[in-house]
Amino acid sequence: MSVAAEQTLSADEQDILQELMNIAFGRASADLAEVIDTYVVLNVPEVRTLKVDDLPEFISTEISEHDIISIVEQSYLGKFKGVALLIFPSGAGRELLNLFGDSNEDYGEDVSMASLEKESLMEVANILIGACVGKVVELLDDEVSFSPPRIIIEDHPRNAIPCEIFEPDSLATVMRTVFQFSERNISGYFFLINSNESFQWLKKALNLFMEQYE
Amino acid sequence: MIFEQVFNMINVGLVILDEDLFVCHWNRWMELHSGIQAENIIGSPIFKFFPNLDNPKFLRNCKSVFKFGNFSFFSQKLHHYLFPFKPDSTFGSEFNHMQQSCTMGPLRDESNVISNIYLAVQDVTEIAAYERKLVEKNMQDGLTGVYNRRFLDTKIQEEFSRHKSYHRPFSLIMCDIDLFKNVNDTYGHQCGDVVIKQIATKIESMLRKTDFLARYGGEEFCCLLPEANLEAACNLAERLRQAIEEEEVNFDGQTLKITVSFGVAYMHDGVENAETLLQMADEALYVAKKSGRNRVAAA
Repeated sequence: MSVAAEQTLSADEQDILQELMNIAFGRASADLAEVIDTYVVLNVPEVRTLKVDDLPEFISTEISEHDIISIVEQSYLGKFKGVALLIFPSGAGRELLNLFGDSNEDYGEDVSMASLEKESLMEVANILIGACVGKVVELLDDEVSFSPPRIIIEDHPRNAIPCEIFEPDSLATVMRTVFQFSERNISGYFFLINSNESFQWLKKALNLFMEQYE
Repeated sequence: MIFEQVFNMINVGLVILDEDLFVCHWNRWMELHSGIQAENIIGSPIFKFFPNLDNPKFLRNCKSVFKFGNFSFFSQKLHHYLFPFKPDSTFGSEFNHMQQSCTMGPLRDESNVISNIYLAVQDVTEIAAYERKLVEKNMQDGLTGVYNRRFLDTKIQEEFSRHKSYHRPFSLIMCDIDLFKNVNDTYGHQCGDVVIKQIATKIESMLRKTDFLARYGGEEFCCLLPEANLEAACNLAERLRQAIEEEEVNFDGQTLKITVSFGVAYMHDGVENAETLLQMADEALYVAKKSGRNRVAAA
């Protein structure tokens, strides 16, 4: 087996991953409705293998229709390992605050509107990422830990991609979807950038997953 | 056995809840800071002792951890604390409650089902106190205690965007102490400092709570007046001028009379950006200086 083959997913494996994510996101969507009382539509995910160096440009192109964006980043760490990015167009924080903010809660004078909006973004991102990644790893029979979410607001996406966590010249599996809060004007992009290190494991786990159906 | 010891020795609050949010475990740290013994709280719903937790956000995050096995983070910045405990260290004197950073996560049983959640409570009061001091210092002018130039620049940009979005009026007054170089040359720089401090205090005492006074440069101040039109701003500048004219500055047994010149500018649709507004106020100030000082000029 050549090095390249070890580092990439075969077409079949990509299909399995896409199907698995589709199932996972369906479940996540149903459970999210229970947790946050809002239905979140998660579109059929797209799976690609990309060189890490090409990631920033890929993401910029994907979100080119939005000038100003907020990005929440959160790492997940298990056998399945990588970085999740949620990208919201500007103004989403305000919408989410209206949706989830507790008007009775007194945050004190030193908490500005801007930081409340940021916190709403992070809370919602934490739950969305937790739901999606959680369901994916459940199907792959893994468990993951999460780092606290971090926000990079109104910044160029290139600065937001933490390339340093990957080995340069390595490949990453990128899983991309669009999500939309129903009846609300909130939508955004969801990227899972799976680290190269978990390729071998992921290949095995995907094949094990398929065996149940064969 | 060893794990149980760690649970109680660790310098972090640890609480374990079941699916109905009843307390299953309560470590020694929690006992010490809450004054509630484990045997008294175990078996009770957490809300019985901490009704403040019975809010949508806390419940939403508990549900999420049970459902998805993810982690939830309750930052000190927004929440300040989950458990209202007394501050522990001398740093806490400025806070009513211990500042906490809390994490919630899943615990699974033998069959890998999430049966419990844990809460970890970290005392971050000291960090929060340092951060607060740094933030204050970053906005303040060291000599006078009023806002500094950095803060003003940001605030003017904010007001400008607010004006663009909501068309709310706002005005600027540039103030410059007349013939300040003479004060320094005649009485020394210490006297100059006293003058600057006293003028700042005087101006600040006459502003509304919603106004901002910043030291713009050496002997120059700038008042940012949200919701004030040109007339209101000019009236205020005139009142400030009179009040300072009547004021006496005492230094080293001597009495000084100080006057200030004022340039007023008003934000209207023709003004393209915040810098232009500052420039307009500066030009008005120049006019006030040119026409004899101790007066108010408007752009």
